[in-house]
Amino acid sequence: MEYSPAVVRHFDAPHWARELPQDTPGLVSGDAEDRTLHVWIRFQLQLIGGVVRAVGFRVFGCPHTVAAANVVAEWLEGRSVAEARGMDVRGLCAHLEVPVEKLGKLLRIEDAVAACWRTYSQGS
Amino acid sequence: MSHLEIYLDYAATAPADPAVSAAMADCLRHEFGNPSSLHAAGKRARLLVETARLSVGERVGAPSERLVFTSGATESNNLALQGVLRRSRDRRVHLVTSRIEHKSVLDVAHALEASGVAVTYVDAMADGYVLPERVIEALTPDTQLVSIMHVNNETGVIQDVAAIGKVCRERGVLFHVDAAQSVGKLPLDLAASPIDLCSLTAHKLCGPKGIGALYIAPRVTLLPQVHGGEQERGLRAGTLATHQIVGMGKAYELADPRREAPRLAALRDRLWQALAAIEGARQNGDPGRRAAHILNVTFPGVEGESLRFALRDLAVSAGSACAADSPEASHVLTGMGLSDTRAGSSLRFSVGRFTTADELLEAAAQVATAVARLRSLAKSSPAWCSA
Repeated sequence: MEYSPAVVRHFDAPHWARELPQDTPGLVSGDAEDRTLHVWIRFQLQLIGGVVRAVGFRVFGCPHTVAAANVVAEWLEGRSVAEARGMDVRGLCAHLEVPVEKLGKLLRIEDAVAACWRTYSQGS
Repeated sequence: MSHLEIYLDYAATAPADPAVSAAMADCLRHEFGNPSSLHAAGKRARLLVETARLSVGERVGAPSERLVFTSGATESNNLALQGVLRRSRDRRVHLVTSRIEHKSVLDVAHALEASGVAVTYVDAMADGYVLPERVIEALTPDTQLVSIMHVNNETGVIQDVAAIGKVCRERGVLFHVDAAQSVGKLPLDLAASPIDLCSLTAHKLCGPKGIGALYIAPRVTLLPQVHGGEQERGLRAGTLATHQIVGMGKAYELADPRREAPRLAALRDRLWQALAAIEGARQNGDPGRRAAHILNVTFPGVEGESLRFALRDLAVSAGSACAADSPEASHVLTGMGLSDTRAGSSLRFSVGRFTTADELLEAAAQVATAVARLRSLAKSSPAWCSA
């Protein structure tokens, strides 16, 4: 398997792979998994004043998934909720050159973030 | 290979011994004759070929005239299986093999199955051992061939080929052994063994790639698979690759298991000692029945592809190098009952002639760091990620 330089960079240093403390104000989290694809992802978003203040994720997955989760987290942090909800994961991760057979894993990232939005909507 | 890379993939292939390279280079420089030619240059080349054949025969306990040179163990496996099972087209034929064989046996078995040969795939136990009783139970009146590898290429588990071969001989069934991983690591005495066909390679014991041999016991006849000449008693057409054969002969001359295996076993055990400190690490394959050079370890809770990528400066394998491009989990480990996830979280380490103890300690440290980092990434993941 060949990996693009962007995948290598994000995989080696996934800065947003962290856990936000449970008592973080405005914290929502969402999980998604696909056992057949060997992928599990948890996203945590700190949403304050309609803005994504902080992001963290945990991931069990291949290097492309780790890199894509980091790209998504990096993009989300600092966005307004309205803008963040329109996120296009495939577009954001195009530079990672994820092979077509792995695109299903990117959908799980989208699912985990969508689960965060559901929690947020229920709470607001 | 990068100077930073540590090579622990000797079960995939081994660097050529300098003495092998020198013998091959010498042959290429000075002896270009065709060994089948009758003139002096051809005769000199023929002498080199036959001298090498003697060295190979001596190492495996076989009269040299029972050895046919091939391009490697894959071709030898093809010649053994297809050569026996495609001989007779007019009656039912049956092959018995195991589910944990190398692809160069399993894929041939599948192809034979597609052409009407009945095949029984015997399961391995959880410790990687293929019970001889299971193989024997699978024999039918139509069975013409049993094919079981000597040492498994992923776990290093040694199969009891003597017990299986004994029963095969009693029942008049031919017995083929793929010895690609055992030759040079375990003593072989083919002429004294109940083995009818045995596949050999050169590159796993510091010889060149692209050369191997098939041992054929006296009473066995095979249907040739390569046509176009009478070389190798008509069993393998094609100009003999003199320099490759010379390299194989030198490699077999040097590979003495009595000298090498104890050193390799000590290195392997030292590596396991270091890796065992990683929480949850477990060996695959019965440690009491394993060849000296292979160690297969599962690191639960880390995703396999990420583990291999995190360890990209460490030359280790997820399983067979011949299946490295496949996203599928190792058929050997899943055949031993591991889940796809656990099989994916497993690494095969294999040591060899040029491995040093310092390299092993450095490798174990790199593995520990990678496993810790990936487990941290997957913190709070569900139980199936470790199961």
